[in-house]
Amino acid sequence: MPQTARRARFLDLSRIRFPVGAICSIGHRVSGVALAVALPLLIALFARSLAGAEGYAEAARWLAPLPVRAALVLVVWAFAHHLLAGVRHLLMDVGAGSRLGAARASAWTANLAGLALAVLAAGALL
Amino acid sequence: MRFSIYRFNPERDARPYMQEYELALDPHDRMLLDALVRLRAQDDSLAFRKSCREGVCGSDAMNINGRNGLACITRLADLKEPVTLRPLPGFPVVRDLVVDMSTFFAHYHAIRPYLVNDEPPPARERLQSPQERAALDGLYECILCGACTGFCPSWWWNPERFLGPAALLQAMRFIADSRDRATAERLEFLDDAYRLYRCRTIMNCTEVCPKHLSPSRAIEHIRRRIVSEGL
Repeated sequence: MPQTARRARFLDLSRIRFPVGAICSIGHRVSGVALAVALPLLIALFARSLAGAEGYAEAARWLAPLPVRAALVLVVWAFAHHLLAGVRHLLMDVGAGSRLGAARASAWTANLAGLALAVLAAGALL
Repeated sequence: MRFSIYRFNPERDARPYMQEYELALDPHDRMLLDALVRLRAQDDSLAFRKSCREGVCGSDAMNINGRNGLACITRLADLKEPVTLRPLPGFPVVRDLVVDMSTFFAHYHAIRPYLVNDEPPPARERLQSPQERAALDGLYECILCGACTGFCPSWWWNPERFLGPAALLQAMRFIADSRDRATAERLEFLDDAYRLYRCRTIMNCTEVCPKHLSPSRAIEHIRRRIVSEGL
């Protein structure tokens, strides 16, 4: 019998064909991490913008560069996807929409609606 | 037909690699397992498990073009070429497409997959009403092939501590059994951050179950029983 340490495991995620529910779920994780990083920065920016006319002008200057606005589009996607996928998970936890057909439909809805809101944000911000 | 197959012999290979095969199919070859048997006639070093060849024994679960399934009930006509075959994801590879299922079966044994009932047995058998028997439908049909567990991201990251969808479906099968008297102990055992609650309702298990069962629904029912029994 070969040694356990020498045993390989196939776990190359790029070679696995994930169902739509799995993409919704990993999107929920990724968007959660993005929000955890972005929200403190946005709150600091918001606080600065409330500190009088000068603070508002400074916050507007920080938001002006294209990469920052592109990052904001990403944050909008993260917020939209995390909210939609999170509500989907909560509903499924109480047994609503937890059959395969309904779960697939809600995963598609969360994935596409998150992207659609990001596209709308891109139209407004870029 | 073209095939690309994961090869790994731990006694000879430093790392796994993909081997390409070309196979002239016989008109009678219908299922992927037919092709695998023919490939092994070409190359007898190719290792895979098989037994019943009709979706009952659960031996030939593998990753087929990126999704888990049983080779014996996967139609060749439905497969895109090259047909890419890899072992069940997350399982330690013994050789080629053969994986070590020791942890999988340890989890199965941990849920006590048998009736627990210390009451004196009746003269003939412990009877169930048709409704009580029907409560087992969708649970007892599991063939323990491992396709669901090997497609579960929660199990990939916690294979030792999360029981995985197959063992949890089997757990529900005995919780649902009217003849069993150990429901409280079973639920208490499962009420654990890792054994049960690592499931994030991704539902990959239900997507790939070759018997069209729903382990995710069984897990949902276990969670509900835990809540309703106030554990």
